[in-house]
Amino acid sequence: MIPESFEYHAPQTLAEASRLIAQFGQEGKILAGGHSLLPLMKLRLASPRHLVDIGRVAELKYIREDADKIQIGALTTHYQIESSELLKQKCPLLPETAREIGDVQVRNKGTLGGSLAHADPAADWPAAILALGGEVEARSESGSRWIPAQEFFVEMLTTTLQADEILTAIRVPALPAHAGEAYVKFAQPASGFAIVGAAARVVLDDAGAVAEVGVGITGVAAKPYRAAAVEGVLRGHSPTAKRIAEAAAHAAEGVEVNADLYASAEYRTHLAAVYTRRALEKAVERAGGK
Amino acid sequence: MKIEGNHKIPAPRDVVWRGLLDPAVLARAVPGCEKLEAQPDGSYRAEMSVGIAAVKGKYHGRIEILDPVPPERYRMKVEGQGTGGFVKGEGVLTLAEQGGETVVSYSGEAQVGGIIANVGQRLLQGAARQIVSRFFEAFAREIAAHAPTAAPGPPVEV
Repeated sequence: MIPESFEYHAPQTLAEASRLIAQFGQEGKILAGGHSLLPLMKLRLASPRHLVDIGRVAELKYIREDADKIQIGALTTHYQIESSELLKQKCPLLPETAREIGDVQVRNKGTLGGSLAHADPAADWPAAILALGGEVEARSESGSRWIPAQEFFVEMLTTTLQADEILTAIRVPALPAHAGEAYVKFAQPASGFAIVGAAARVVLDDAGAVAEVGVGITGVAAKPYRAAAVEGVLRGHSPTAKRIAEAAAHAAEGVEVNADLYASAEYRTHLAAVYTRRALEKAVERAGGK
Repeated sequence: MKIEGNHKIPAPRDVVWRGLLDPAVLARAVPGCEKLEAQPDGSYRAEMSVGIAAVKGKYHGRIEILDPVPPERYRMKVEGQGTGGFVKGEGVLTLAEQGGETVVSYSGEAQVGGIIANVGQRLLQGAARQIVSRFFEAFAREIAAHAPTAAPGPPVEV
């Protein structure tokens, strides 16, 4: 449980952190909350030569409203999101998802940006960010870019972040009128990781039909994904119980479903449909639909 | 852990067969392969640095090709160990012709033990799939780059 030796760097500003990361390239690793990286290092499954601890970079810790968007600094902890009054009002899916992560200790240290950049295929945040149609900001010395969540996750533990980029912020739409959001998961009892996690966001039109819908699913495949087939069945239709169930049946369509000791591929496929249905039912109810 | 799947390689079957048994081609296609040497007894010794993203380890091991039926099928036995634990596996590869291309199907059973299995059980299958697809992608590129013009590689004893 002792990591290999490494150089520790503690930049005070984002500019300084970017410079260090650009300098170390593949040899460097960013430390945020440390809840994924440090265990890997202690087991010597990861052995970065340089650890760049961005914990002191104050400019990455904030939650703010910007017109009809909410922007959150990458270093904001799960607990800060869980307890944010602004988010409870304007983007309730995020506090609801935060509550489902690990335990109190993990939520006090772990960060939104760290979790997204680590891209564990069973992490909770990706489902929520995908359902919301969020974006992720990546900054390097040469500039900044916003990456849509759907393009961000490449494979297991792999994102489109380049070696010299730091994930700095997350941007999601604020909750409009007649909209509802929900996250539900079937957790592995020991680790708390999602065997299946489903996030849904539904916006209804004046007639009560589904105007916008986003469904993000985690734990099921090698990377979290947006369930386009589910959304297609719902969009433009009245979200009756029957139609929601029909839509949710497509939850694992087009993905290669994981199997492990806890759940076979068949069982996971079944759970994906059940949890997607539950997330949609909750979201529709909260949107004021039947 | 069961590992199975298939990949299509856009090349005739005998070319794919030769490639799959050519240490030089394999050394370039196997992700993180640092050394692959044919041994006098017909097996191969391999050293590789395998992993996903920052989770990487160095492994060394032995690969045996058994019961080859050119250019259709062979059995493969793999044993390796390294920083994260050990892996032992056995599987069958079948090559089928399909309109001038070759479909390589594989099916096998692998046992993984040690730290990586204890803490990473839920990630193993995804990791294995990812490494296998990377291999076949790189292998297809190798075949495409060398097959059409180059003479067949050195004869491979089977």
